[in-house]
This record gives sequence, C-alpha cells and structure tokens, in this order.
Amino acid sequence: MGIRANIMLGRANFLENTRGEKAPADPRTMIILLFMVNIIAFSDKSIFIELITIALLFSLLVYSRCTRIGFILIGMFASIIFLQYYVFPNSLPVFATIFSMLSVYIRKIIPSLMVGSIIIKRIPMSYLILVFRKWRVPERIITILSVTIRYFPAIREESTHIKDAMKLRGIKGFAKIEAYTVPLMLSAINTAEELSAAAVTRGIENPIKKTSSFDIQFSIKDYVFIAAGILLVISTILV
Amino acid sequence: MIKINHLTFEYKPNSENLSNIDLKIKEGECVLLCGKSGCGKTTVTRLINGLIPHFTEGEIKVGEVYIGEDRVDNLEVYQLAENVGSVFQNPKSQFFNLESEAELAFGLENRGVKMECIRERIDETTKALNIEKLRSRDIFSMSAGEKQSLAFACVYAMNPSIYVLDEPTANLDYKSIQLLKKQMESIKAEGKTILIAEHRIYFLVDLIDRAVYMEDGVIKKIYSRDEFLALNNEERVLMGLRTIENKSTIELDELKMQRLNEKSTKLRSYLNKETIAELDVRNLSFSYNQSNVLSNLSFKVASGEVLGIMGRNGQGKTTLLRCLAGLIKEASGEILFNGKRVNTKERNRLSYLIMQDVNHQLFCNSVWNECSLHDRNIDDETIEAVLSDFDLLRFKDSHPMALSGGQKQRLAIAAGVLCGKKVLLFDEPTSGLDYQHMMAVSYTIKELAKAGHIIIIVTHDMEFLECTCTSRLEI
Repeated sequence: MGIRANIMLGRANFLENTRGEKAPADPRTMIILLFMVNIIAFSDKSIFIELITIALLFSLLVYSRCTRIGFILIGMFASIIFLQYYVFPNSLPVFATIFSMLSVYIRKIIPSLMVGSIIIKRIPMSYLILVFRKWRVPERIITILSVTIRYFPAIREESTHIKDAMKLRGIKGFAKIEAYTVPLMLSAINTAEELSAAAVTRGIENPIKKTSSFDIQFSIKDYVFIAAGILLVISTILV
Repeated sequence: MIKINHLTFEYKPNSENLSNIDLKIKEGECVLLCGKSGCGKTTVTRLINGLIPHFTEGEIKVGEVYIGEDRVDNLEVYQLAENVGSVFQNPKSQFFNLESEAELAFGLENRGVKMECIRERIDETTKALNIEKLRSRDIFSMSAGEKQSLAFACVYAMNPSIYVLDEPTANLDYKSIQLLKKQMESIKAEGKTILIAEHRIYFLVDLIDRAVYMEDGVIKKIYSRDEFLALNNEERVLMGLRTIENKSTIELDELKMQRLNEKSTKLRSYLNKETIAELDVRNLSFSYNQSNVLSNLSFKVASGEVLGIMGRNGQGKTTLLRCLAGLIKEASGEILFNGKRVNTKERNRLSYLIMQDVNHQLFCNSVWNECSLHDRNIDDETIEAVLSDFDLLRFKDSHPMALSGGQKQRLAIAAGVLCGKKVLLFDEPTSGLDYQHMMAVSYTIKELAKAGHIIIIVTHDMEFLECTCTSRLEI
C-alpha cells in the first residue's frame, strides 16, 4: 500500500486524466509545439523572442495546471539569465568558462522541458500511441516505446521494495549500490519475460494494421496554439 | 476442441518435463489441472496457448496439439489468440498500458477491429463481468485483485472460445477469488471451454467437469467431478492438494506434518533467552494519499505467538507491516515494545520483514555471503548453525538465485534470524504454494515462534492461517 502510495503521488494526475479530458490540447499540437520551441531556443537570435516564448509557455503550463513545475522551470531560467548577465561577466574567467557552457545548455533545453512536462503529466500514453499510429510510426517502435514507459512505474515499485529490504538488513553506504543491482536486474528480467508472454498471447505480433478504440480531433485551441508557435518561429528566423 | 496427442516435451535436452501427455477436452468443458509445484501444470497450459513451441525455449519430442482442426505448431501465436485467451499468475506483469481503458482495447486493437466495435465490446465486457468501477483507472493504483479482474476482462473482451488460466488466484484474497469464480461461471454459461491450473481448488468444485492430476510431468489420473470430490482428506493430502472445502482439516494436517518433517531439526533460539517480549500496538492509524487506510488498530502479540492478519487486497495490510517494521511512520497511535514506546528507527532494528517476493531481499552472490552481509565479523559457527537449521548448509556456496522458491524464502528468514531480529513479519508467505510447501512454511514459522520470536503474518490463505496462527485479526 505504501509502495503504491508513492507511485500514486507521482501519478495522481494520471488517475483523473486517463481519458485525456484534462489535456490542454491535442497531443499532436503538443508534439508540434515541442519541435517549434526547439527551433526557437536553438536559433538563439533574440533574447526578446526567447523571453516571449518562455512567458507563453509558462502560461500554457499554468493553463494545464502544472503550475508548480512552471514555477520551478521559470525560476531556473531566471537564475541562468542572472548568472549569464551579471555574475559571469564580473567573476573570475576560469569560473565563467567552466560554468557558462553548462548554463547555455540548460537555458536551451528549458523551453523543451516546459512542453515536455505538459506532455508527460497531462497526456495519457494511449493518446500518444494513437498519434504515432496516425503518423505511421512503425508498430515495432511504438511497442518498444510504450513498454519502456510502462516500465518506469514498475521499476519504481520494485525499487521501493528493494530499498525496504536493504534498510531491514542494515545495508549502508557503498554496499547499497551493489546490493541494489542484483534484485533489480532479476526482477526486470522476470517482468520482461512475463510481460512479453502476455503480450504475445494477446496478439501483439499480428501483422494486420492496428486500430484504436478512440479518435482525436483538432479544436480551435489547437489552431491558436500552433499559430502562435508559427508566428514565433517566423519572427526568430526574420530577426 | 483441444486435443493433446501422446506428447513429450523438454525445456532442456534430456530433461523430459512432460512425457506422454494425452488429453482431450470437449467444447464447453471446464478442466482443472492439479498437482504439486513443478508437476508440469503450467507447461501444459503453455502447449495450448501456443507459448510452446512459439515462445518458450524447449522442444516437443513427440506428439502434437490440436485446437479444433488446427495444429498449434502450424499457427502463429496471434492466430491462436483468436481462439485462446490466457490469464497468468502474476497480476503485476500482464499489462502494457498504464490505463485500464487502453488495456481493455489492447487485444482488439491488435486484431484491427474497428473503433466503434471496440468500444461496444468494452461496454459489453464491463457490463457482463460487472467491473464498471475498473474503467478509466490508473492500473498501477489497482490492488492485485482488481488487476487480475482486469486481466480476465481483457481476455473476455477478445471473446475467445477457450480460456487458459494459469494459477490466477495466487495473489488474490477471498473476495477476489469469489469474483473470479463468478466470472468463470458466466463464461462457462456461455459455453466456453476452460482449462485452469490451480493450487487453490476449493472455489472450483462447482465449476469443474473433470480434474487432471499430474505428477512429475505425467498425467497420473483423470477424475470426473464426482470422483474428484469423493477423494477423502488423506488421499488428497498424499496427492499434495489443497483443501476442497474452504477450511482446513487440522487434525489430519498435524499428523501429516509430523510425517513431512521427520527429518527437519528443531530450530535453536538465537535470541537472548531472558526476554519474554511483547509488542503492543495501540490505536495505530496511518494515511496514504490523503485518505486514511487504517485507523485505530490495536493488538498485542507476545513472543511465541503467531498473529495472522487477514483483509482484502488493497486494504493496507502491507502498509501495516511496513509501519511495524519502521519503514514508514504512523500517523497516530503508538507501538510499544515491552512497555516502552519504539520509534521507526528502533522498530527497524527490532523487526524484519519477509516479503512476498523474496527476490527483492537477496543481494549476494552466495548463500554464505548473504548470511554475513549485515555484519562481516559474524562468526562462522553461528552462520553454520543457522544454515543447518534451515536446511541450507549444503547450498552454502550456491547463488541465492539458483535456489528454489522455498529455499529462497528460508534463506531470507535465516538472514533475518542472523540479524538478531526479534519481530518477524511475513507478507503472504504462501502465495502460489502447494500443500506440501505450505505445510513446510507453516512448520518453520511455528518453530520460529517456539524459539521466542514475535510473529505477524499477513495472509489470504485460510488453510495456512488455520494451521499456523495462534490468534487472528481481520482488518
């Protein structure tokens, strides 16, 4: 139960959201936005456009009820700007060279993290699978992807058990890392074996074109989001 | 409907895991496969759902399997899946999706069924099996019983004519088993063929038409329902089968147990003798996910006693054990040991939990190292003594993962005993065990109690509970 509690805390959003009603937009829109913010972030021409992008993404996060993550990411962004514009120019050159590269990287990935966290928190896996099917991503890749994602909560569950067991045996320090791997690997192998047996008996190898139990459609919201994205991308290119 | 023709199968060359299996199952029949652990029940189920020869390694030496007119080895598993649906033992590892709705659709999506038809079928399924409350749920937040119900529903949605169930109740509580029984009744009424491999057979007595008893990969005898129910307790126990009524038959079991354990030595006590300890739990409550799971729980257990805790899947029993073991904090209430209140850290030092899946708690590359893991300076004689008590000394250089399930469990217990833990907590120690192994666990636990340990067991297994526990608590 406690183990399940831990998992549920991380996934509470999913629970109320398994049908995707709480998703801020069509999953396709979110994936397109993900590409767009990457273009904007890496073209790196105008801090003005970057700031607008970050602000818009922050409002999107709030709109998607991911406010906490929104604040964390915007806080990170602000501190990097502060470092780059005020701290590095006035600090030792050695210090600046070491950390400026890192800060540039983080600054570049923050917009993707913002979109990505909405996708992870607010869009159910089955919706993403549907999108991939619509885009004709090979079924093999979809299977690998969905099983991988399914593994994370499973591993979290396993590792809680293992941590408990180590605590009860009083395993401390460096021995922990070693002790951790054996049971985790073993359970991963067992799970993989059992999971694929179940998959096979439910016809996952069927070569026929797979269908879906529901459909998704663009709404005005999606067009607005994409239009805003296009505008920003065009302006970065033109500036 | 199903025909297995004088079949011999081996996982590894010259091991002959099944020999000369000859079995015909008619349409609409419900057949039970029973026998001790490792008798080949699961292997037979795999012959029918096509995992053998298409998935599992191994070789069919002689014989063939037919589903209707088709030979299983000429079909792909996905073609077989049109007719044969399988439910497996472990509720945790039967899902690919995180959401129940997607999982229900999974089999039909693979088959390329149209969207509207999938939806309709999901509606039909949830209605027929009465599981509306499982729809649109996060699967990882479900209890074992709910997961197994969902697994059954996923197969039902695909509407196979044959159901193959491989120990579906191993992790289920009484109520979930009753639900599974109802579900099986409804598919039987629909005229489906059912093949079920099980240790727990009491819930099947109304359902089965025949029972196939296996021993060491051979079909020993095929009983009609009446013949099977007419077996007396002694015959049943000698066959290693669990109880047919949902209660235990204690007197005989005691007798049998003595016979079973003639060879085992008594366990010595490794605890400080003078302490007759008592664990006193007062008004204990803990919460998770903002809602109270358990509130105001009070009980006492003294050394030498065995407390059995029962309750439904997902009711907080495991959380209770974790709380007693000091792995999580209580929300309110107190836990006293010998009249003194103990916090999480002290509880951690006092107690040890033997987990349902003991693989989680074996870390080392040999049995011996496992025993000295907590303390490198422990003297060899002590380890040797404990290992021989638990009948593990001859495996001292083996890798723990090379041991059998029962040996692993004993090793986990031995490790706890060596750590000098006074309180031993067991989480479902008998899930999926046949009669003989269940009795062996029961014996070990009673011996541990005699040696002065305080023992608390969480279990769904009534038969085990009745012959092991000195007191019981329902939550």
